[in-house]
Amino acid sequence: MNIKIPVSWLRDYLKTDVAAKTLANTLSASGPSVERIDKVKEDYVFDIEVTSNRTDSVSVFGLAREANAILSNLGEKSNHILPKGINLVLEPDTVNILNLDVTIKDLKLCPRFTAIVLDNVKIRPSPAVIQNRLTLSGIRPINNIVDITNYIMLETGQPMHAFDFDKIKGPKMVLRESTEGEKIVTLDKTVRKLPKGSIVIEDAERLIDLCGIMGGANSQISKRTKRVVLFVQAYDPKTIRKTTQSMAFRTEAASRFEKGVDLEGILNALSRAVYLAKTNANAKIASELVDIYKVKSKTPTITLAIKKLNNYLGEAIHPNLAVKILSLLGFEAKLQNETVAATPPSWRIDDVADDVDLIEEIARIYGYQNLKSEIPKGDIPISEKDTLEEVIGLKKALKFLGLTEVISYSIISQKMLALAETKRTNVVELQNPLTENWQYMRPSLLPSLAEIIGQNQFIRQNLRIFEIAKTYIAQGDELPKQDLQLALVLSHGDFFEVKGYLENIAEIIGREMKLKPNAKKHPLFIENQSAAVFSGKERVGTVGVLDSKITNYFNIKGAVAALEINLSTIYSLPTTAKTYKPIPKYPPVIEDISAIFAKQTPLDEIIQTAKKAGAPLVKTVEVIDVFEDEKLGVDKKSVTLRLTYQKSDDTPAQEEVTATRNKISSALEKSLLAQIRK
Amino acid sequence: MVVKKYFNESVENELEEAKRKIDSVLNQKDLEKIYLEIFGKSGSFTKFTKQLGKAPQSRRPEIGRQLNEEKKELEEYFEKKRSTLNAQHLATSIDITAPSKKPAIGHLHLVSQAIEEIVDIFKRIGFSLKSYPEVDWDWYAFEALNMPKDHPARDEWETFFVKSKPNAQLGNQVLTPHTSNGQVREMLRLKKPPIRMLNISRCYRRQVDVSHTPMFHQFEGMLIDKNVSIANLKGTLDYFAQKFFGKERKSRLRPHHFRFTEPSFEIDVTCGVCLGRGCRFCKSGWVELGGAGMVHPNVIKAGGLDPKKNTGFAFGWGVERTIAMRTEIGDIRLLFQNDIRFLEQF
Repeated sequence: MNIKIPVSWLRDYLKTDVAAKTLANTLSASGPSVERIDKVKEDYVFDIEVTSNRTDSVSVFGLAREANAILSNLGEKSNHILPKGINLVLEPDTVNILNLDVTIKDLKLCPRFTAIVLDNVKIRPSPAVIQNRLTLSGIRPINNIVDITNYIMLETGQPMHAFDFDKIKGPKMVLRESTEGEKIVTLDKTVRKLPKGSIVIEDAERLIDLCGIMGGANSQISKRTKRVVLFVQAYDPKTIRKTTQSMAFRTEAASRFEKGVDLEGILNALSRAVYLAKTNANAKIASELVDIYKVKSKTPTITLAIKKLNNYLGEAIHPNLAVKILSLLGFEAKLQNETVAATPPSWRIDDVADDVDLIEEIARIYGYQNLKSEIPKGDIPISEKDTLEEVIGLKKALKFLGLTEVISYSIISQKMLALAETKRTNVVELQNPLTENWQYMRPSLLPSLAEIIGQNQFIRQNLRIFEIAKTYIAQGDELPKQDLQLALVLSHGDFFEVKGYLENIAEIIGREMKLKPNAKKHPLFIENQSAAVFSGKERVGTVGVLDSKITNYFNIKGAVAALEINLSTIYSLPTTAKTYKPIPKYPPVIEDISAIFAKQTPLDEIIQTAKKAGAPLVKTVEVIDVFEDEKLGVDKKSVTLRLTYQKSDDTPAQEEVTATRNKISSALEKSLLAQIRK
Repeated sequence: MVVKKYFNESVENELEEAKRKIDSVLNQKDLEKIYLEIFGKSGSFTKFTKQLGKAPQSRRPEIGRQLNEEKKELEEYFEKKRSTLNAQHLATSIDITAPSKKPAIGHLHLVSQAIEEIVDIFKRIGFSLKSYPEVDWDWYAFEALNMPKDHPARDEWETFFVKSKPNAQLGNQVLTPHTSNGQVREMLRLKKPPIRMLNISRCYRRQVDVSHTPMFHQFEGMLIDKNVSIANLKGTLDYFAQKFFGKERKSRLRPHHFRFTEPSFEIDVTCGVCLGRGCRFCKSGWVELGGAGMVHPNVIKAGGLDPKKNTGFAFGWGVERTIAMRTEIGDIRLLFQNDIRFLEQF
């Protein structure tokens, strides 16, 4: 939470010679962060970020208290002054005592309720200094009474409200939970339908306050107001939060109440407000003080072992210094058998609960800048290499293969999701999407990559891009399956190009990868130009040419070759073992053999048949040429194989080569019905 | 030999003479001139071939083969000289500013480059990378991190929720708004210290503007051991700042508040422009890097470890933020627009 305050206001309660900029630096180093300093005429305005646990510091007075502790510890001359009027005795000034009948239905809703009626009020503009300070803090001045409520909130951190006493019917106030369907018109002239269980105040006839959030318009201060109820409370933070969340309506008062306010500071705030009303509006106290205070349980004392403190700090500090620092911050602290025993002040009881909280207080005031800087010394844990670490190497390898990495959003639109044709039960959908474009967690990276191709196709001819990211597949009531995938797409690419990348990737990763026909059509790929990728028995992905449904969707010209493989699965498989084979001492005999096959005979089958028949003399079989021609016959193709005959102890003799070639020829003829070309 | 006898040593002499001529040549043009002198129509070697017809019928094949061998030797000699001259020619007179013929090389995304560097830096001091779910239970993302249900501190994380049945113990499924879900998961996984974990992951929050994208990358480190101090955290962060940003850079801690650490800090690094003196870019001499703190005892307890025996620190920041600090990318949304002209710059 940020607060803007003029330094002159801060200096009302912090007496020090320290210059504004130094003050900002020391505050930032040990307390709330001064994020911005603006010079306005002779004054400076600090924009200060106060963390959500320190509502006590979202106020001029609280910041002065904090700054004083920090400066005092640094040895700077500094003093902390109490605001005028906080100890004003709240007794009637008038003979004619007005009565306000207050009932609180449930003390849990309102741990402390104070109110007082003022008479003889003259509504007019506030004095210039108040108007000026409010303006610098970002609040518009209205009139002397309303300004006091805002001024008190900024000054003490305690939100408060003022009602026109004569508009309260009864005059009575009943504080209770709202019931189903109740409405109130708030000060901003908006009709607010209240969720059940909000804290409200009702007079004899109607609701007059949405407590802790905004007052009712029907009882607001006007130019003609003569009698005023000043009103300072605390509310149950959880109830306030429930209301603000369900109404999606939050005021500055509400955000303070939902974090909790200092119950002990409430009466001081009221006194100070009355003091200002007397000074600025000629007000007179016209009622007894109403102070309904649910007795709070005693604050427990926290003990902190000196040893633990020193372990955290990484050095030993004098125990007396620890006690001194806590005392400067308003704690009651003393040394007790190797421990510091400390009781937090009333404004810190929600925030300080454990010994580590005391360590923070001591350490920050002592100064983090004064602590040593040391690399941890302990044992270095032994850990296995995670897939993510492997992926870093893989990404680099892909880069050197000429591919460019992209990172696209994991959250996609319904239309993108539809391309992947994911089963309804596998879809991971967001409950509170930001826009239609970001509604589902993607089950595949390919639509996103295709989109990027479409986006860039007129900028670069040949796009070669990849992404490594998780995909999300719902698994009933369990967490979705979140496997790391590698997707790669090539614009104007074909099957064999992307197959080549796959083979390189298999080599880089050190896992075997084999292609098999897809058991059924993959929604993202063309049926007869795609294949399933297997590593051992595991299906690890798909490779092929993207279906025109995808490319058309992104208006892509030309074919896009792509692959998507599951790295989580692949990396969980064992690496292919590499063993040493002696480098041949004798040269091989190499010869080519051509044959005509049925067109649908897979080349791999031809190679395997030749290898098997040629073993052990044939070491490699490569396809060097394939062509189809009418002259070969219908549905026929000619394939030329290059055979390498090699022995470890000699150059193969011509007779051995011929014998082996004959074996291969007849195997091809027999099992594949080949016709050997002479 | 036979040839010698027939041509009276002249072939042998001619060969030697030709080699001498070739040796003495200094440029391609002269070499081709000599080639013609030898093998041209009336070249010195050609005349032997012409005389072959005059040789007795019975000896012709033999003499012819011999002549061919001599010719072949000489031609190889020419060829060697040609390529030598050629190489010298290329070495002396090319335009080095002409475009190269280079094999294609791709580009890594800036985020990956930063991640690689960060992991490398922390690896050297014993931290290892680990992956945790990006869609995780509320319990790991919030509750185990000392943020009970409905706690106002949760408001700081604009969280996306997944449509699914809440788990009785673990709550809703959420898109992790930070990497801190890894803290308790890692403690539960290892079951005992020492722990030095790195978690780098995509995170998600419901925000979009120049400095926010609904998806971003966060980086988080956690160390759990005996007697871990704030000084150790400072040492680790100083080490990082120097390795990542430069030797002269320093880090500092400022008080902050997170529910899952106590004490909690904000980490600043000295500004790269003024090195901490203060300039118009940074105002104070420091730029904000991320958050850190000593792991809260409740979090250590949620991780199944004894907070009386174990302490630790954790720190984390947005990877995109470190990129913005090092490059001049003002609008981080550019990082995920995937314009190839942007990607190819890095």
